[in-house]
Amino acid sequence: MFEVRSRWGKALLQLAATVFVLPFLFPLIVMVQGSFAGAGWGNYSAVLGVPGFFRFFLNSAIISIGVIVLVYAVTMLASYGFAKLHIRAREVYFWMLLVCLTLPEVVLLTPLFSTAQQLGLYNTYLSVILPLAALQVPFAVLLTRNFINGLPDEMFEAARVDGANSFRGFLYLVIPLTRPIAAAVLIFTLIGAWNDYLMPLVFLQSQNMQTITLVPQFFVGEFSNDQTKVLASAVLTAIPEIVAYLCLQGLFERGLSAGAIK
Amino acid sequence: MTASVVRTQGAPRSAAKGDRSPRGTGRRRRRLQASGLPWILPALVLGIGLIYYCIGYTGYISLLNWDGLSPEPEWVALHNYVRIFQDPVFWKAVSHTIVFFIVTFGLQTVFGLVFAVMMHSKIKLGVLYKVIVFVPVVLAPAITAPVFRQLFAANGQFNWLLEHIGLGFLAQPWIGQESTALPVIMVITIWQWTGLTFVLYFAAMSQIDQSMIEAARIDGAGNLRTLISIIWPSVRGTTVALAILSAIGALKTFDVPWLVTVAGPNNATQFLGTYIYQTTIQLAHAGYGAALSVILLVVALGMAIIFQTAGRERSEKSTIRKGAR
Repeated sequence: MFEVRSRWGKALLQLAATVFVLPFLFPLIVMVQGSFAGAGWGNYSAVLGVPGFFRFFLNSAIISIGVIVLVYAVTMLASYGFAKLHIRAREVYFWMLLVCLTLPEVVLLTPLFSTAQQLGLYNTYLSVILPLAALQVPFAVLLTRNFINGLPDEMFEAARVDGANSFRGFLYLVIPLTRPIAAAVLIFTLIGAWNDYLMPLVFLQSQNMQTITLVPQFFVGEFSNDQTKVLASAVLTAIPEIVAYLCLQGLFERGLSAGAIK
Repeated sequence: MTASVVRTQGAPRSAAKGDRSPRGTGRRRRRLQASGLPWILPALVLGIGLIYYCIGYTGYISLLNWDGLSPEPEWVALHNYVRIFQDPVFWKAVSHTIVFFIVTFGLQTVFGLVFAVMMHSKIKLGVLYKVIVFVPVVLAPAITAPVFRQLFAANGQFNWLLEHIGLGFLAQPWIGQESTALPVIMVITIWQWTGLTFVLYFAAMSQIDQSMIEAARIDGAGNLRTLISIIWPSVRGTTVALAILSAIGALKTFDVPWLVTVAGPNNATQFLGTYIYQTTIQLAHAGYGAALSVILLVVALGMAIIFQTAGRERSEKSTIRKGAR
C-alpha cells in the first residue's frame, strides 16, 4: 500500500514497523523473564511439582471438547434446517436465536447458579459446558446458515432425485461441504471455551475441577503471592495456546475474525 | 444423540421431498411444512431454552430483595431499579464503559489500520511481526493478568523502562492509584485486541482494487493522501463492524479489570460486569445484581437491534465471503 522508493524511506518504514511491534512484545518478554527470576528453572519445577497441575489442562480440554461437540452438532442440524428445509415461522425462530448474540454472560449468573444448585449440577463440567455452548450457538448458526444458503439448491435436488432422504443429504452433502465454515466455528468456539474465566470461576469450586484460566489465582494462594512462580504457571498455560496458534495460523486468524464480526 | 432423535421422528425426510415439490397435494404439504422443525429443535432448546429461561428468571429475581440462598425472598417490586439510578457506583461503571469504549475503539482502529498498511508494504520480517501482534488475541486474559499486575506495579518493569529511557520522573504506582488504573485497563485491552483489528483490516485491504490505488498515484496522491482518500473509505464496512464489536466488548468487560485491579482502587475500574459479579456473588445481593443484569441486557439488546438494522446485510456478505475462502 505504502509506496516507498528511496532507501532511507524503506529503512524508516521498517523502523516504524519494528517500533510499533515492540510494545506488543514487551509484556511477553516480561512474562518469560519474570518466570525465570530468582530460582530460574526451579520456578518451573516447583509449579510442575504441584500435585494435580495437569488436572487443570485436562479439565479445560474436557470442557472445550464438550462445548465444541455440542455446538457443532446443534449448529449443523439447525443451519441445515434453517437454510434448506421448510419451517413455518422460520424467521421468527431465527430472530429469537439472533437476539442472544450480544448477551453478556454475567447476566446469566444468578439464575444459572441457583438452577445448577437445585439440579445438582453445581461443580460439574456440565454446569460450565451448557451455558458456554448456549452462548456460542446463535452466532455459529448465523454463520453456518449463511454458508449453507450459498450452496446451490440443485445439488440437494439432485441428491433427492437419486433417492437420498434429507438425513442422507445432510450426511453426504452438508457435512463435507461445510468444512471451511466448520473450521472457523471450531476455532472461535475453542478459544471462547478455553479462555473463559467467569463460568469456571463461579461454577467449579473444588480444586480438581478447575480450569487453566483459574491457574494464576490458584498459584497466588499456593505460593503466597510469589510472583515468579505465578508467572511460570502463566507461561506454562500460555504455551499450548501459542503452539496451537503457530501450527494453525491461517485457521486461527480466519476463525477469530469470523467470530469477531458478531 | 441429536441425530438419532431426528431420524426416529422421520419427519425431515418428507420435508426434503415436499419442500419444493410442485406435485405435493395441499394436505401433504401442510403435514410437511412443520417438518424442518426437528432439525432446529436442539438449537432452540439449548439457545432459546436455556438463555430465555435465565433472562426470565433474572427479571423475576430483580424484583426481590434476596441473598441468592434464603428460601423466603422479600418482594420489593421495582425498588432495586430505583436504587440503581441513585447508585453512584452504577453511574461510575457506566461512565467507565463509555470512556473505555471510545478510547479502546479509537486507538485500536488507528493501530490496526496503520499496521495493516505497513504489512501490505513489503516489510521484512512481516510474518514475525504479524505473529507477535496476534498472539495476545489467542491468550486468555486470565493468564496474562498476573503479567500486567507485575508489569505496572510500583516496582514493576514499566517504571524500570521509564527510568532507563530518561523518563524516570513519570514513574508511579500505575494500578494502585485512581487516576491511572482505568488507563492501564485500557492499555491491556488494546494490547490484547489490536491483533484482531489488524487481521480484519489486513483482509479488507486485500480486497481493494489495486488499479484504483495506482490511478490515485498517477494523479499525484502521496502515501498519506492515498490512506485517507482511498484506503480508509474502502474499509469502512470493517470499521463499522469493529465499532459494534468494541461496544459490545466494553459492555461485557469483566476479566481484565477484575483480575488486574479488582475493580478498584475505590471503584476506579468498576464496570457493569464486575459490579454485577461483586453485588451478586461477593455481597450476596442477588436481587440488586439481577436488576443490574436486566439493565445491562437492555443496553446490549438495544445495541444488537441497531446492529441488526444498520449492518446486517453487510455482515452477511462478509461472513459468506469469509466462509468461502
